[in-house]
Amino acid sequence: MTMRGVLGVGGALCVAMALSGCGGKEYVRGSQEPGIDNAAMSTGLDKEDIQHMLSENLNHLRSAPIMNEWRSKQPPPVIAVFPFQNSTSEHIDSQLDAILSEAEQWLVDSNTVNVVARDRQNQMVAEIEGQAHPAFNPANAARYGKQLGAKYFVTGKVQAADERTDSARRVQYFFFMQIIEIETGLIKWQHKAYQTKMAR
Amino acid sequence: MSARTFLRSLLAFVVTTSLALTNVACGGHTARTLKMRTALDEGDPKRAIDELEDELNVDTKGGYPKQVVGDDALLVLDRASIRQSIADFKGSKQDLEVADKAIDMLDLSHTTADDLGKYMFSDSAGRYQAPPYEKLFVNTLNMVNYLELHDLSGARVEARRFAVMQKYLRDKAKQDDNVISGLGSYLAGFIYEKSGESDEALRYYDDALHFAYKDSLGLPVARTLPKGSYTSPRLKSASEGIASDPIGEDEGELLMIVGYGRVPHKIANRLPIGLVLTYYAMYISPADRATANEMAITGALTWVNFPSLAPERGGYARPDCSLDGRRLSLDGAVDVSAEVRRQWAQIEGSVVASALTRLITRAAIGVGTQAAGKGIAKASGASNETSGVIGALAAIAAVVSLTAADTPDTRSWETLPARVAILRKVLPAGSHTLSMEVRGWSRKQTVTIPKGGWATVSLMALN
Repeated sequence: MTMRGVLGVGGALCVAMALSGCGGKEYVRGSQEPGIDNAAMSTGLDKEDIQHMLSENLNHLRSAPIMNEWRSKQPPPVIAVFPFQNSTSEHIDSQLDAILSEAEQWLVDSNTVNVVARDRQNQMVAEIEGQAHPAFNPANAARYGKQLGAKYFVTGKVQAADERTDSARRVQYFFFMQIIEIETGLIKWQHKAYQTKMAR
Repeated sequence: MSARTFLRSLLAFVVTTSLALTNVACGGHTARTLKMRTALDEGDPKRAIDELEDELNVDTKGGYPKQVVGDDALLVLDRASIRQSIADFKGSKQDLEVADKAIDMLDLSHTTADDLGKYMFSDSAGRYQAPPYEKLFVNTLNMVNYLELHDLSGARVEARRFAVMQKYLRDKAKQDDNVISGLGSYLAGFIYEKSGESDEALRYYDDALHFAYKDSLGLPVARTLPKGSYTSPRLKSASEGIASDPIGEDEGELLMIVGYGRVPHKIANRLPIGLVLTYYAMYISPADRATANEMAITGALTWVNFPSLAPERGGYARPDCSLDGRRLSLDGAVDVSAEVRRQWAQIEGSVVASALTRLITRAAIGVGTQAAGKGIAKASGASNETSGVIGALAAIAAVVSLTAADTPDTRSWETLPARVAILRKVLPAGSHTLSMEVRGWSRKQTVTIPKGGWATVSLMALN
């Protein structure tokens, strides 16, 4: 090969390497690219996971005896929706808030119960727990409910089995939802749904 | 070969060599963090953060690169430590959570090609694999952040993440004697005790007692044991003779965590081949030793580049703490630097051996390139003498380029404290004046202990 040939090949390689570094990022909209939600981006919970687990639980609730009881009650019973507990190894609190809002929306849309507004609940929590650390304490849930005049409260928790090997990390989620009668403390309904995420 | 063609070849060589020498000046990861370390040494953590952000090439303060990949994850970890030291706990926890995922993915992505790259091209060619103490420190420091923010729910998430890594390191990586494991277990135990989960707390306290903390944990274990069902000989021994009275209604508990100094970071080292063959003889295979000796005699091998540990900073300082004007004595500090040195000693031999393998490979490539260069020049019609010169120049260019690409792997989390000491104290509920000072860094504040509650205050002096 002549020196000119070597220089030509070298130049082409340099241009190719330079261009490979120019993979510019862009923003895309879900409505324009329907598959955008399909890929798992982490071992946390995403919209697909939330919808899967929530629909599993709410479909079960739809046909549960407690729903039939509520449908027949006049006036409709007052329900409080309390935060879902994160017992996993992932920081999924914002996702749990989304689950809570979706569940609340579903109950409102069902027209069978009156749901206590979240602002009022937060006020009550602050009153009971003190302004210094006004965080929801599951141990005081019944007390909050009574003060709010609710007959039942809906709550839940997400647990996880998190395992790690040399080449993979797998998080198996267990999402429990329950309805508790405030006066008696009895669990009137409970159901669970599963989801697994993995990094490999 | 015409004089013109020869001149072109020479020009190409000069350009290649210049580029290569530019790279030689690159000192790897430690060069990227030099300004940050200098700022910390001068007691200016905010400037240290600015230097890191310059290196990360982020547009906004506290921002992240488009993707936190590769060695940038280490810079984010450094920023997390420094933000914690200036009491920016929200920023620090955000950084730790971003880096935690990035470091984990790097670790999971590690392949044979990374190991091969280390042996063939450069020590820093492979993806970064965090040593066990760094993996455990990510969640340990983040537990401190969440405790400072009084967020037990977030702290429990970090305790669980810590437990997953701890279990992996013990069961799969056979790393069950890591002192950071004890420190993390201590904090996880505190978190679960304050969350009212006594059995979990006792399990973690039991693990912490495996390492130390007998004096500090006696009282907490004594008051938690009656509430749970978990027990062990270590827990019984730690609480022997101590009254199991619970914390009074008008009392609360203060947890103080003081970190100081900095662990030894890695530096690029350069030793003559003869010394390396003597010092590290036990790690070098007989075949490599024979080849290296042969090449050393002919002058083909001269120096070996490899990383080693720099001295720690500030490990012998003594924290000076007082509460309401009375001096406090902190428990024996965890020697993080010793753990760093211990884990480095376990891999140092293989690091030097791979550096030597690369050196031998480069020398062999040089010999091959010289012959090939001479052959091509001859085929182009150059005289014997000119071909010899071109062959030699080609060999030098090849070896210099490969040497330039071979950067010792100096990557590590450089802003971990050299020592971490802990103190917990039951106090009357209400406001207390707390003062902590070490290595010229101080934190003075009024801390409020709620009735039956708790508070956490930390100081990380990373200068």
